[in-house]
Amino acid sequence: MNNWQPVASPELIRLRAQTLKKIRFFFEQHNVLEVDTPVLSSATITDPFIESFQTDYLPLTRRIEHTHYYLHTSPEFAMKRLLAAGSGSIYQIAKVFRQGELSQRHNPEFTLLEWYREGWDHHHLMAEIDQLLTLLIAEHLPLAESCFISYQQAFEKHLHINPHTADINELMACARAQQLDNVLDKTDPKDRHLELLFSHCIEPLLGKSEQTGQAQLCFLYHYPATQASLARITETNGVPVAERFEIFINGMELGNGFHELNNAQEQRDRFIHDNEQRKHNGQQTVPLDEHFLAALETLPDCAGVAIGIERLLMVMSGSRHINDVINFPFERA
Amino acid sequence: MATYNTNEFRSGLKLMIDGDPYAIVENEVVKPGKGQAFNRIKVKNLKTGRVVERTYKSGESVEAADVMDTELQYLYNDGEQWHFMHPETFEQIAADKAAVGDAEKWLKEQDMCTITLWNGNPLVVTPPNFVTLTVTDTDPGLKGDTSGGGGKPATMETGAVVQVPLFVQIGEELKIDTRTGKYVSRAKD
Repeated sequence: MNNWQPVASPELIRLRAQTLKKIRFFFEQHNVLEVDTPVLSSATITDPFIESFQTDYLPLTRRIEHTHYYLHTSPEFAMKRLLAAGSGSIYQIAKVFRQGELSQRHNPEFTLLEWYREGWDHHHLMAEIDQLLTLLIAEHLPLAESCFISYQQAFEKHLHINPHTADINELMACARAQQLDNVLDKTDPKDRHLELLFSHCIEPLLGKSEQTGQAQLCFLYHYPATQASLARITETNGVPVAERFEIFINGMELGNGFHELNNAQEQRDRFIHDNEQRKHNGQQTVPLDEHFLAALETLPDCAGVAIGIERLLMVMSGSRHINDVINFPFERA
Repeated sequence: MATYNTNEFRSGLKLMIDGDPYAIVENEVVKPGKGQAFNRIKVKNLKTGRVVERTYKSGESVEAADVMDTELQYLYNDGEQWHFMHPETFEQIAADKAAVGDAEKWLKEQDMCTITLWNGNPLVVTPPNFVTLTVTDTDPGLKGDTSGGGGKPATMETGAVVQVPLFVQIGEELKIDTRTGKYVSRAKD
């Protein structure tokens, strides 16, 4: 059978258009500038759990330094170069690409709403995200009051374990009690054990009001410092934590944000560490984005976030599969 | 040893888990934006029928179970084993009580059954969805009642007891749904 027809219903095609319009109106009202950055880049993210699509430049008219390009997995690096150059607060609605990710909640090509607030920290930004998402979702789905909870509190509440101080033996005992034994072993790093427990025992419970069972926006903040990615690290109660947060609703992640690290050396060290991990895992290493690292020297204090538009549309329309909100999902692309 | 990568997981795929053959019922991918991806599957133990959950790191390989379905004709029961034959090769296979299980009461000689083989040995015997069986015993019922309202138990030639309409008589042939154990209709011949 030839599957040439769109999967998304006419209502969902309209809902996407209306949602993008509302987002653009919101940022216009808040004096945040819409920008555009390249999809193809000569360097890419080093994160061992994010793989980029790759392609080659075949010079017909002119040779340049690079021939190998990566499709961006988020417009983050280029947007921070704009901020470093003095753009002020900016947003972008961008198609992004992640290799290998296909599931009920993943399409390898998807849409990110990404924005940066100059002079803000992550708490200030979370309040604005709450405002925008409530505005978009509440007319489709009744929302309970939003919840702000730390990564540590979530582990203590649902698994009675402190994620920062627990060692691998304790995490494995905890997994065993949740019938999640034999998934990982002692040779796996602590973060894998935390990710297993988090994704199976905590995430499904986030974004649902305990009192009413209604959907709610749940902001989870202060991840372990080892999961900082591009966030600053701060210390709370003697424990180093990443000023990173994620947003959940109805047990599904909607987005990820940081109080942005602007220490170029520290960022370079993290990239190098990622590449060492990649080598260890037998993955390809990737070139460091030297444009981005150079720009970090002058990146103003800022916080940024990326929200998955398809996930947001799933929530707004009550869709169970990401394909329901995409005209031509990957298998029909 | 044949294996499947987690990216090949789909419902129906047969895996070896803790020494038993299982079939995937449901496959769910858990992949955080940043962090390890997992395949979380619901699997059915093909020996016991019990459904359990299992999680694997995405990218891992899992041993495949050598399980296949084959259509065989039921021949006879020798008191201990049930004997089946391939209709073309005439190859015969015997299944024990553990494999036949509840299917026993629906097995009629010459009917085609699905035999699930594990390493070549019968694991599960599944009777046809519909079987035609003769009534060997039932209460005579009321004369002239053809409404089908109400019902009574009837013993079939295979020993199965089925609720049937009041008008059904001993010696009649009935069509039975083996999945529900319910009477469907009189057999049309």
